[in-house]
Amino acid sequence: MYSKLFENLKTTIARERLLAVSTFVVMTLTFLVLGLFLGVVVLTQTGIRQLEEQAQVTVFFKDDYPEANILDLQTKAKTDSRVLDVTYVSKEQAFSIFSEINKNEPLLLESISASILPASLEIKTKRLGDLSAIAGEFEKVDGVEEIKYFRDVVEKFKFWSTVTYVVGATLVLAFFVVSYAVIVATLHAVIDSKGVEYEILKLVGASDTYVKKPLIFQGVVFGLISAVVASVVLFLVYTLVAFKFLGFSQVLLFGFIPYKINTLVFSGMLGAVLIASGGVLGYFGSLNALKRYLKY
Amino acid sequence: MKQVQFENVKKQYDGAAPVLNGVSFLIDDGEFVFVVGPSGAGKSTLVRLLIREELPTSGDILFCGESVVGMPNEALPGLRRRIGVVFQDFKVLNSKTVFENVAVALEVVDSTGEVINDVVPNVLNMVGLGDKADRFPPQLSGGELQRLSIARALAHEPDILVADEPTGMIDPAASDQIISLLEKINSMGTTILIATHDKRIVDSLKKRVIRIEDGAIKSDKQGGTYVQ
Repeated sequence: MYSKLFENLKTTIARERLLAVSTFVVMTLTFLVLGLFLGVVVLTQTGIRQLEEQAQVTVFFKDDYPEANILDLQTKAKTDSRVLDVTYVSKEQAFSIFSEINKNEPLLLESISASILPASLEIKTKRLGDLSAIAGEFEKVDGVEEIKYFRDVVEKFKFWSTVTYVVGATLVLAFFVVSYAVIVATLHAVIDSKGVEYEILKLVGASDTYVKKPLIFQGVVFGLISAVVASVVLFLVYTLVAFKFLGFSQVLLFGFIPYKINTLVFSGMLGAVLIASGGVLGYFGSLNALKRYLKY
Repeated sequence: MKQVQFENVKKQYDGAAPVLNGVSFLIDDGEFVFVVGPSGAGKSTLVRLLIREELPTSGDILFCGESVVGMPNEALPGLRRRIGVVFQDFKVLNSKTVFENVAVALEVVDSTGEVINDVVPNVLNMVGLGDKADRFPPQLSGGELQRLSIARALAHEPDILVADEPTGMIDPAASDQIISLLEKINSMGTTILIATHDKRIVDSLKKRVIRIEDGAIKSDKQGGTYVQ
């Protein structure tokens, strides 16, 4: 059965090369643009998330506050689900960092010893929005002398990153709908171009199945091939861009979802979505376009 | 045996005068019948009603005793396979070759490739298109297109061949060839029903003539002429 359908498709493509090529190009480009747009949104949101993760709260402790208490606070903070990482910087380490930064200022270094510099905890959170809350909680601890973080910058960044996530996700959904509409419209145009022939077939006694089968097969094959070509191109582009230029091996699916996935897995998932879309759109798009020609 | 029976058939489009109004007639197996009348008399409508391309406003149409009007949609391909139709505008498939156009009529009845390769050349030879099997319809003349249309209608050996103005778009010489061909087909036992306003052809054959005017049958005569 399939060999006959393939034979039929081959003949159709050979006789109507221009129509076949233009259909294939339109469908492939639509899938490509959809995939590229989705990728740009995902990579942007991943970039923003990386920036978010750079932000930290630094908690400085009073000179007389015991190191054991600070280490207790560090242990407790590490168990907090909002916290990404907690680093303890002792007086000595602080002095070492200070010395490194001011190595060209020997007079300054001579006047300062490790005992002057405060011990601190550097706390990074998984979400930017949790920095204020963490800072607030540490303010209540007795031994804390000062808490530093760029409150205004963090608040603004948090606002705009949320806007980016919402707008990105909305645009992706809208783009899916538009792309699907373009592909279905393309299949409609292909089928409508030979509508009279289907009516003739019906008049000479062809059953609905006889008319439908080759056209649906053609729609599914066009959908699948164009989606596969687009997926391969996107896979190569994303792998290259993410690894070589942006330097991340993991990306976020969307900003709202806290989990990251490997770039290769993302490219694979995107390919699978596009290929499945190609098949499903090819089937239902062709079936829908044929409906009017199957009426008695 | 009664093959086609129109029973008080009326066809009226929205708001217009009836195209057919109370038309009744019988056609037996193996007959050769002309349906004549001026343009707009309802001849083509009659053909479209017989293959149920359209439904009548009232009345019934029987084909081999079975109501065409009451037939479920799923049964229509079966009906149309038993009626070979030659359309006035040929209705050939321009994207298929002459051979493929005829093969379609066999493919729709699930004939094997072997049968198709056997039957199609024979039918094409019969209508004089044997040497043009690989051509496409736009490469054929009007007469050749009409013969192709006849070949397709004949390929699956229908019970009746219905031709709507088969000489309407071709020159007199080609018309004569077409009519000779239809006579030959009739002599082999196939019923022929021709809707036409070609007086010359009708008068030359002296067959049964049903005359329709203003949607009603004015006369029905064996061995008749165009004007009776």
